[in-house]
Amino acid sequence: MADDMMTIHLKVWRQAGPDKQGRFENYTVEKVNPHMSFLEMLDVVNETLIHDGEEPIEFDSDCREGICGTCGFVINGQAHGEERGTTVCQLHMRSFSDGETIVVEPWRARAFPVIKDLVVDRDSFDRIIAAGGYVSVGTGPKPDANSVKIGKDVSDKAFDAAACIGCGACVAACPNASAALFTGAKVSQLAMLPQGKPERGRRARRMVHQMQEEGFGNCSNIGECEAACPKEISIQNIAKMKREYLRAIFTDS
Amino acid sequence: MTKLDARSPDGPLHKKWDNRLEEMKLVAPNNKKKHEIIVVGTGLAGGSAAATLGELGYSVKSFCIQDSPRRAHSIAAQGGINATKNYPNDGDSIWRLFYDTIKGGDFRSRESNTYRLAQVSNNIIDQAVAQGVPFAREYGGELANRSFGGAQVSRTFYARGQTGQQLLLGAYQALLRQVDRGKVEIFARREMLDLVKIDGVARGIITRNLVTGEIERHAADAVVLCTGGYGRTYFLSTNAFNSNATAAWRCHKRGAYFANPCYVQIHPTCIPQSGDYQSKLTLMSESLRNDGRVWVPKDKKDIGKPPQDIPESDRDYYLERKYPAFGNLVPRDVASRNAKYVCDEGRGVGATGRAVYLDFRDAIKEQGRDVIEDKYGNLFHMYHKITDEDPYEVPMRIYPAVHYTMGGLWVDYELMSNIPGLFVAGEANFSDHGANRLGASALMQGLADGYFIVPFTVGNFIANYDIKKVSTDHKAFDAAETEVRDQIDKMLSVGKEGSRTVIEIYRDLGKVMYDKVGMSRTEEGLKEAREEIVALREEFWNGVKIPGSSDNYNKMLELAGRVADFLELAELMAIDALEREESCGGHFREEYQSDEGEALRVDDEFSYVAAWEYDEDGDYEVHKEELEFENVELSTRSYK
Amino acid sequence: MIPLKRALSSPTGRKFVMSISGIALVLFVIVHLLGNLTLYVPDGGETFNRYAAGFEAMGPFLYVIELGLLAVIVIHMTWGIATALKNRKARPEKYAESVDSKGGPSNLSLASKNMIVTGVALGIFLVVHIWHFRIRKVYVAETTEIDGNEHADLYALVHAAFSDPLWVAFYVGAMLFFGFHLRHGFWSALQSLGAMKPEWSKGIYALGFFVALVLTVGFMGIPLYIYFVG
Repeated sequence: MADDMMTIHLKVWRQAGPDKQGRFENYTVEKVNPHMSFLEMLDVVNETLIHDGEEPIEFDSDCREGICGTCGFVINGQAHGEERGTTVCQLHMRSFSDGETIVVEPWRARAFPVIKDLVVDRDSFDRIIAAGGYVSVGTGPKPDANSVKIGKDVSDKAFDAAACIGCGACVAACPNASAALFTGAKVSQLAMLPQGKPERGRRARRMVHQMQEEGFGNCSNIGECEAACPKEISIQNIAKMKREYLRAIFTDS
Repeated sequence: MTKLDARSPDGPLHKKWDNRLEEMKLVAPNNKKKHEIIVVGTGLAGGSAAATLGELGYSVKSFCIQDSPRRAHSIAAQGGINATKNYPNDGDSIWRLFYDTIKGGDFRSRESNTYRLAQVSNNIIDQAVAQGVPFAREYGGELANRSFGGAQVSRTFYARGQTGQQLLLGAYQALLRQVDRGKVEIFARREMLDLVKIDGVARGIITRNLVTGEIERHAADAVVLCTGGYGRTYFLSTNAFNSNATAAWRCHKRGAYFANPCYVQIHPTCIPQSGDYQSKLTLMSESLRNDGRVWVPKDKKDIGKPPQDIPESDRDYYLERKYPAFGNLVPRDVASRNAKYVCDEGRGVGATGRAVYLDFRDAIKEQGRDVIEDKYGNLFHMYHKITDEDPYEVPMRIYPAVHYTMGGLWVDYELMSNIPGLFVAGEANFSDHGANRLGASALMQGLADGYFIVPFTVGNFIANYDIKKVSTDHKAFDAAETEVRDQIDKMLSVGKEGSRTVIEIYRDLGKVMYDKVGMSRTEEGLKEAREEIVALREEFWNGVKIPGSSDNYNKMLELAGRVADFLELAELMAIDALEREESCGGHFREEYQSDEGEALRVDDEFSYVAAWEYDEDGDYEVHKEELEFENVELSTRSYK
Repeated sequence: MIPLKRALSSPTGRKFVMSISGIALVLFVIVHLLGNLTLYVPDGGETFNRYAAGFEAMGPFLYVIELGLLAVIVIHMTWGIATALKNRKARPEKYAESVDSKGGPSNLSLASKNMIVTGVALGIFLVVHIWHFRIRKVYVAETTEIDGNEHADLYALVHAAFSDPLWVAFYVGAMLFFGFHLRHGFWSALQSLGAMKPEWSKGIYALGFFVALVLTVGFMGIPLYIYFVG
């Protein structure tokens, strides 16, 4: 085991607060166990920093099993690192090589201001959902769940879109910092399901406009978002959103 | 000691909830918006409660520690959600789900609550489908069901392995819809650090803004706590990194009783720890035990060998050996305990010696790789990704991990704690699962509480109590805020000089808890644990090292506050486990087992809920709620 | 319904404008190339001049078409530049390590990343090109006779231009930008309109390459042909 231990050089973005000037700091981490996740490696660095009386590198994380969407930063120019279909909490050190220098920086977008170090504010995503990313039904007696049948194919497709964890990697990876994949996934999921159809036009309109107001860029169909998405959500959902929007220009519903 | 009254309604079991709903007073529609309600936590219970209360017209403030309500740990639930729809026509009914839940909880839950849970289970599915939750479906377009956790009927609805995520997003979207309508205000990245009581009634909370460090006051007419369980007391668990007991514990310190803290569920099929740096454990669905065979080497000397080189004759399939009838499918607690035993004997495998094999070799041989891949492909993929070992080629290594806590703040039938105006829902309360929770029932309870129970019972409370508006300038707020500030200041002043980090002390706590307040407990061990916990607490308050300041984002400071609370709660868990001289569900006392090594309940002495009242000096006082079983007969489990 | 003004400035609507104008330009360019293929006919420019004379025969109607075309170009450029500026604003602080593609489904490439660069370059090219052949043709002195009528000898104009290696290099270079722009633009236009089935996506992306290649080679060939072959 001990033979497998790695040495890693880190170049990490440190920024004390939202309006503070940030800079890169270098750290060398020794005896990195290849089975550690990237976050666990940072935990170890932080323990050392704390013992040395320095402030630890702040980053957001929660479930650490790739589903809550809390964690995420850019590693060597790639959102969530080089591996596809993963979040940084599920990215293991064995995917790096011994002696490698790793550059770590936060998601960068106007709509994701840095809070501290690698922590960013993603409230803009919540506001996009609040603009229409739901089915307007209240709590209460509802028709039996099986009264509306939904074919497995449609249901599976809706699920593929619904798998979004809201981590923001799509925005981070997009050269234009566009939130089209995030928004498109929700517009598309709900537009496919019969429950979501009655308000599809309003939803597409309001969500797209909210996305714009938050200061995200425009989609230029590069598709890097899909490559970066830990849930590998397809940009076909963006195309679907565009159809929904186009439809909404001309129809009332 | 006082006897607690659950205020369960009269009448036959199946009429109780209806009767209560009919008796309830209503709040006039035009008055609702004048009533402010605080909901802490945005998981399945909190998210659905806040959304529904907002929908009803109340002015709701919703708080979460994460950066968005969508991140609550309910999102990580994989397996599914139970409901008694009986779509597969295999004989399920409300009664059957109720009975399975009571029995699964080892007859330590309240009949009336558990029955109500089964009753509203179907509404949850209807509600979720109406929201556009993409449950798994059959080709014909109907909802798919599966059997889960050894249930004899297929009553589990699921959405791939992400049922929790989909249900949570449904609740989250409903919540944000209310934000859009101006009914709910979200306070993200806020941690509740105290409950404010005025004249004995819950009237507000103190929160810390986790970005700016500001201490904030919020007043309300009712407080609904949906802050999850306390599994992170064990440091390593399948719970999220930020899951904690602080909000519940601070309420406890303000007088709310903490019930059955020793009931902890330890899940047998988790990916074992791989080193000291480990931050959390990952659960794999227990469906794996349907086809995987659990074993360890018969002889210690074989533990270092590659498993495929160990011949059949040198393997000990200990579950099949000890429980020939159920074999690898024994309940969670039995499977977990036995894994611990073989590891304690020194026969554990893997880098840390704390793991057993879960082998699919025979299943692949008999059914073919394709069939196994079809059933468990995503789990095998996850395992492969985390461990870098291919479970198609070498057996998986698994070890039990803390997964869920059945105990929690004591609540009555209406989910109100003993503090009027303080409601507790979801995993944070103790109410429905007794000493052990059935698979696919956590999501059900969270949503049942949030969508269908709390919104009505909170209304009933508001209509019945004459609630006068209070200002956050009230001296009770001053006092609570001062206490919160003092604690933070104290932590930081100790933290400047300290020598051990929060994580180091926290890990030690986790180790004590796993070793002595874990799967298998003894009087001696629990007493030692108590002493060790007290010692750790002293170490914390004298020598913890905390970086940074309180006026900005400081994860370690947040964690320190939570660990300080875990260090108190842990002691209460040990006390409760010590007091409960029987074995039931997730609580196994080695002194109380049958000749066959099975859990031995002591019904005539311990058929009660132990609700603890806080005491600063550790002299917690127990209040008992006797459990009366009018509808079911107590039976004993046997898996031989 | 969404008011058209609002729609056209929205992230999705502005891409509709880009897509539709882009597709119109691609169609124009295809017709343009088909016409220009007459330059390959080795008859001393007669076919080409005959083709060019066809435009003159359209009279004022030609101006209508030309103005329409100009409008499409101006719209495409204005919206494109405005969108690019907005995109730039969406990430005020750049990554130290520039975004590196994760591969897989990503179409991140020199072409897709630099649409604004190739677009602006094409804009500049257009100004030169219009001056070079459209404006200057009005002042062409040499004439040629087609079916007994006197016409400007445009072939001579083209021939003279492409006998100069600098002009050849300029046009060949411009066509490289054109190729790159089209390589991403063709697929992007259809994707922005949502005008495809998911199963077609890969095919259309490949078709985009094919279209870009054919048009680029077709145009690029003309100056090279004239310069080397005559």
